[in-house]
Amino acid sequence: MQNKINEIKNYVVEKLSGINAQADCQALRVEILGKSGKVTELFKLLKDVPEEKGKVGQILNAGKAEIDALISNKEKALANAEIEKEINSAEKIDITLPTGAECGSLHPRTIIQREIEEVFTSMGFVVEDGNEVETEYNNFTAVNVPENHPARDMQDTFWLDNGEVLKTHTSASQNRILKKYAPPIRAIFPGRCFRNEDVDASHENTFFQLEGVIVDKDVSVGNLIYFMKEMLSKIFKKQVEVRLRPGFFPFTEPSFEMDVRCPFCDGKGCPTCKNGGWIELCPCGMIHPQVLRNGGIDPEVYSGCAFGLGLDRMTMLSFNLNDIRELNSGNLKLLKQFKIK
Amino acid sequence: MIISLNWIKEFVDLSGIEVDELTKRFGLSTAEIESVTHVGGDLKNIVVAEILSVENHPQSNHLHVLKVDDGSGTPVQVVCSAPNVRVGLKTFFCRVGGQVKDMKIKPVKMVGVDSNGMCCGGNELGIEADTSGIVELDQNAKVGTPIEEMLPVEDVLIEIDNKSLTNRPDLWGHYGIAREFAAIFNRPLKPLELDDLSAYEKLKKLNIKVETKNCFRYSGIAVENILKKVASPLIKLRLNYCGMRDINLLADLTNYIMLELGQPMHAFDHAKVGGITVIENTKPLEMETLEHTTHTIEPNSVVICDEKREPIAIAGIKGGLKDSIGEDTNSLLLESACFDSMAIRKTSRKIGLITDASLRYEKSLDPELTKTALARLLYLLKQIDSGVRVSSSFTDVYNFKYPTHTIKTDADFISRRGGVELSAKQIADILTRLGFTVKVSGQKLEVIVPSWRGTKDVSIKEDLVEEVFRMYGYDNIKSSTMSMPLTPVDKIPTHELEYEIKLALASKFGLNEVHSYVWNYADFNKSLGIEDKPVVHLMDASKSGQSGLRVTLTPTLLKFADENKNKFAEINIFEIGRTFDELDKDNLVIEKKKLSIVLASADSEKALYFKLKEIAEYVGTLAGCELSFDSNSSNKILHPINSCAITSGNLILGSMGILHPTLAKKIDKRKHFAALELDVNKLLDAPKQSKKIVPTSKFQAVSLDFNFVAAAGTKYATLENAIKNFRCNYLLEYGLKDVYTNDGDLKDKISYTINVTITPKDKTLTATDIEKFSAYFIKTIEKVSFELRK
Repeated sequence: MQNKINEIKNYVVEKLSGINAQADCQALRVEILGKSGKVTELFKLLKDVPEEKGKVGQILNAGKAEIDALISNKEKALANAEIEKEINSAEKIDITLPTGAECGSLHPRTIIQREIEEVFTSMGFVVEDGNEVETEYNNFTAVNVPENHPARDMQDTFWLDNGEVLKTHTSASQNRILKKYAPPIRAIFPGRCFRNEDVDASHENTFFQLEGVIVDKDVSVGNLIYFMKEMLSKIFKKQVEVRLRPGFFPFTEPSFEMDVRCPFCDGKGCPTCKNGGWIELCPCGMIHPQVLRNGGIDPEVYSGCAFGLGLDRMTMLSFNLNDIRELNSGNLKLLKQFKIK
Repeated sequence: MIISLNWIKEFVDLSGIEVDELTKRFGLSTAEIESVTHVGGDLKNIVVAEILSVENHPQSNHLHVLKVDDGSGTPVQVVCSAPNVRVGLKTFFCRVGGQVKDMKIKPVKMVGVDSNGMCCGGNELGIEADTSGIVELDQNAKVGTPIEEMLPVEDVLIEIDNKSLTNRPDLWGHYGIAREFAAIFNRPLKPLELDDLSAYEKLKKLNIKVETKNCFRYSGIAVENILKKVASPLIKLRLNYCGMRDINLLADLTNYIMLELGQPMHAFDHAKVGGITVIENTKPLEMETLEHTTHTIEPNSVVICDEKREPIAIAGIKGGLKDSIGEDTNSLLLESACFDSMAIRKTSRKIGLITDASLRYEKSLDPELTKTALARLLYLLKQIDSGVRVSSSFTDVYNFKYPTHTIKTDADFISRRGGVELSAKQIADILTRLGFTVKVSGQKLEVIVPSWRGTKDVSIKEDLVEEVFRMYGYDNIKSSTMSMPLTPVDKIPTHELEYEIKLALASKFGLNEVHSYVWNYADFNKSLGIEDKPVVHLMDASKSGQSGLRVTLTPTLLKFADENKNKFAEINIFEIGRTFDELDKDNLVIEKKKLSIVLASADSEKALYFKLKEIAEYVGTLAGCELSFDSNSSNKILHPINSCAITSGNLILGSMGILHPTLAKKIDKRKHFAALELDVNKLLDAPKQSKKIVPTSKFQAVSLDFNFVAAAGTKYATLENAIKNFRCNYLLEYGLKDVYTNDGDLKDKISYTINVTITPKDKTLTATDIEKFSAYFIKTIEKVSFELRK
C-alpha cells in the first residue's frame, strides 16, 4: 500500500511540475482525489486488506493529506501568480486627472446669512421670514417713524402705485413679529430691503439686512452688548470687542451705532477699517416704547432691544469684496467661486 | 459741520485734556466725528508789517517794489502784486525762512528785482475770503507782532457728521457743542455775554405781524447809525475756518451767530423795510435772492413780506435781494425767528434750495433761542461799532410755545434699562450737567427738560436712559447675558425649505445661485419678446431705471444667462426670489416666493429637460411631495410642445420645459436652454407623500417583463397611472425597461417594456398564481388603450 501511495504521489509531483493553469490543477485534483480518483480507489481496496486495517488506513490518510497539500500549494501559487499577473498588466490610472464633476455654488450672502442664522438659532432665536412689499403702516408708522419724516419721501423710498412700499428696512417686520409671539421673544429676520438711491460701489438700491429683536422683562443695554459680542465672535471666529456710540433711529430709544474692533487687524489699523481700528457694523438700540405698544406689548412691563445687521456689508467684509453691485450682478465669474463644500 | 476748538474753549475750559481724548469722548457720547484737522501750524514767521514805500516795478505793470517795516529794525525790500498796496498800510508779512501753508518763503528775484519775504493775502492765510489783495490790518496793530499773537490761527477743526446731529437741534452751533463738552468732562459752561434787551423797553415796537401758524416765533429789533463796514479779524477767521466766507460786517455777524448758537438770523435794511408781515402764500410768488437767482415760491410756503406784503425773504431759507443790506446801509431790522421744521423742509425741497439756515430749521430749533440770538448779536455789534443805537424795543410775536416736558421716573428704571446700578444722585448729577432741572426725592426723579432739548428730542423716560448712559459711557456698561425660560424654537417651514433647496441645487446638481433685482427689466423683455405686464409700478423709477416689479422670475435669470453667455459654455443658475403678480381685495400685493432655474448648454434639449425633471423631483422630495409632469403648461416663454406644468394633486406649482426657440435663438444660438419656475410656498401646501414603511417579505419574489404597445404619442404616464392604480395582494414594484417607437412591426406605435416584481406576503407563488396575476395585470393595463405585444 505504501508503495502504491508513493507511486501516486510521484505521479502527482511530476504532473504538477508541468501544470501552469488553475484549471489543469483542478482536473488533476479530480483525477487523484475525486469520486473515482486514484487515491479514492485505493481506499476502496482497504476493505479487502486482511489485517492491520488501522495501520494501512493511517498510511493512506497520511498519503492523501500529503497529496492534497501538494495540489493545494500549487493551486495557491497559481492563484497568486494570476493576481500578480493581473496587477502587473493593469493600466496605471492617473488619479491626478480632473474629475469633470462641477461643484455648484451658493450666493455669498446665503452663506453668511446661514452662518449668522445658525449662531442665533443656537441661542434660541427663531428665524422669521418677512415680506419685500410692505404697507406704509408696517414700514413706517408701526416702528414710530413720524408722519412727516424725510424717510417717507419719494426720493428715499420706492413707493408703489398701490400705496405700498418696497420695504426700506427689516424693521418693517417688527410689528408682525411682536404681535405673533408673546414675550419672551427672541427672533431674527433677514430680508431684502430697498432704498431709492443712486447705485455706486458702496450704495445699492437693493440690499439685505438681518434684524433681531429680544423682548422680555428687564432687557438692558448690557444684554444687547452681550448678544452682539457673542454673535460677532462666532462670525469672525475670534473673541471680538464691540463698542456703542450714540445713534438716532425713530424705532429705538436709546439708539446706538455699534462698532466692532477691526477683526482683520485687531484694531491696529488696516484698509478695511480705514486705519481707524473700528468698523461701524450695526445700528441697534432699545426698542422704543411706542413700537412695543404698537406690537401689543406693554412697555411698562417689558423692554427689548433690536439690531439691524447689514448682511451685504458682512458678506463684503467676510469675502473681501469691495463693490456692493457685484452682489446683485449675476456675475458668474465671481459667484462660481463660492463653491459648496 | 465744522467746529473750531478755540471757539469751544471760549465757553468751556478744557485745559489739560488732549485733543484725542476730547474727540474720542465726544464721538462716544454725542455724535460721530468725521475728521479732526490741525490748522495754522503751517503759518510760520508771519508778523505785522507796515508799508514804508511803494514804487512801480521797473519791468512789470502789475508788480510793485515795496519797503516794509517788519519790526526787525531794517526795512525789507519785497515785490508784491497786490493792487491795494499803499504807504502806511499795515498787513501780515511773512519773513524769509517763514511759511504760508505749502509755500516756504525764500529770497527770490521777481522779474529781476530782489524780494525778501511776502505780503500775505487773507485768503492765502486762510483767515479771510478776500482774494483781491493783501490783508488790511487796523492801524493800531503793532509792527513786528507775530500773527498768532493777533489771532488764534492755530486751531483744531472738528468735522461732525451732520447726519448724526439730525435729532439734536441744539448742536447746530458752537455753544451747544460746548455744553456737551462741559457735560462730558464735568467742567462749567460759561454763560453767553449778551446785550440787555430790557434797556430798550421804552422804545417803540416794530410792526411785526404773523399770519401763519407755521411761524412759531418772530423776534425783531431795529438798530441805526452803523458806521463800521467790516467785522473783526477774529470773526472773519472763525467764519472762514468753519467753512463760510466773510462778506461784510452785518452778514458776517448774522452768520457768526448762526455758527455760534445755531439760530439763523437775517438783517434787512430798515430804510427799505419798515415792518414785517409773515404770511403763507396762496399764490405762487417770485423773488430774486441775494445770489441774483429768481425763485418761484410755491403756494403754502412761509414768506417774509414787508408792510406792503411784498416778499422780502423765503422764511428760513434765503433772503431776497431787494431789501438786503448794502454798502450804504446804516440802519437795520434784525430778524430772529423760528418756523415749523416741516414747512421749511417742504419749501426748501420744492425750490431745490438747501441752505445753512434751512438745514438748521429742519431740525426743529428751540424758539426760545430767537431772543438770545438777538441779544448776542447786539452785544457783538456794539463791541465792534460802539456808535450803534438800538432804535426799537425788542418786538416779539410768540405764536407757538413748546410745552415744558416734565418726566417722572426713578433710579431703578434707569438702572434696569442700562444694566448698571446707578443712584438717583448720580443720575441727577449727569442730567444737571446737560441742563436738565432735576428734583430728587429718595429713588424718585422729577426731570424738567430744557427748552433746547424739548422740541422733539427728549420727552419720555427712555430718552433720559440715553442721556444718562451716553454720559456715563456706553463703554462702561458690562456685557451681560440674560435668563429666559427654555422653550423649543419653532422653525419657519418656508425659510428652512428655501435653504434646503438652495443647498441641494448647489451641492447635488452643481447649480450656481444668483441674486437679482425685483424690477421687470422692460427693455430686455421687449427685446426677447417676453410679455411683460407688471401689476405694481414704481412711483419714482428714476433711480432704479425700471418701472415695475417683476411678475415672474425666469426672465431675470435669462438676463443673467445672456450676460454670461460668452464667458461660459454651460450656464446652470437658480434663484429663490419674490414675484409680484397679484393684488388682493384690499389692493395689497400678494408676494410669491419662487424658485427659478435656467440651464443652458450644448447638451441636447432632451437631456436638459430631463435634468430639470430630476431636479424638480428632488425639490419635491425635499418638500415631502410627489410632483407630476403630465399636464400642459401655458407659460409662453417655454417651448409650446416640450414644456409641462408641474403639479401635485390638484395644485399647479409651476412650469418647466425647453425655452421657446424664439427666445433661445435671440439669447445664444450655440446653446440649448431649459427653464423652470416653481412656487416654493405652494410646495408646502402640496399633499404630503405618505412615508409608510412596508415590511419585507421572506417569500421568493417573482420578476416579470411585459411589453405593452399603444398608438404613437401615448404618454408613459398613461401606462404608469394605470399601474399605480392597480391593486393586488402582492407587494408590487415596477420600472420602465425599454421604449421603442416605429420599430419594425411597430409602425405608428410605441412600446414600453415594463418590469414588474411581485412579492407574496404569506406564501410561495405557484405557477398558477403567477399566471392569474399576469392575466389580471394585462387586462387592467389594456383598459387604458394598451395591448400586450405578443
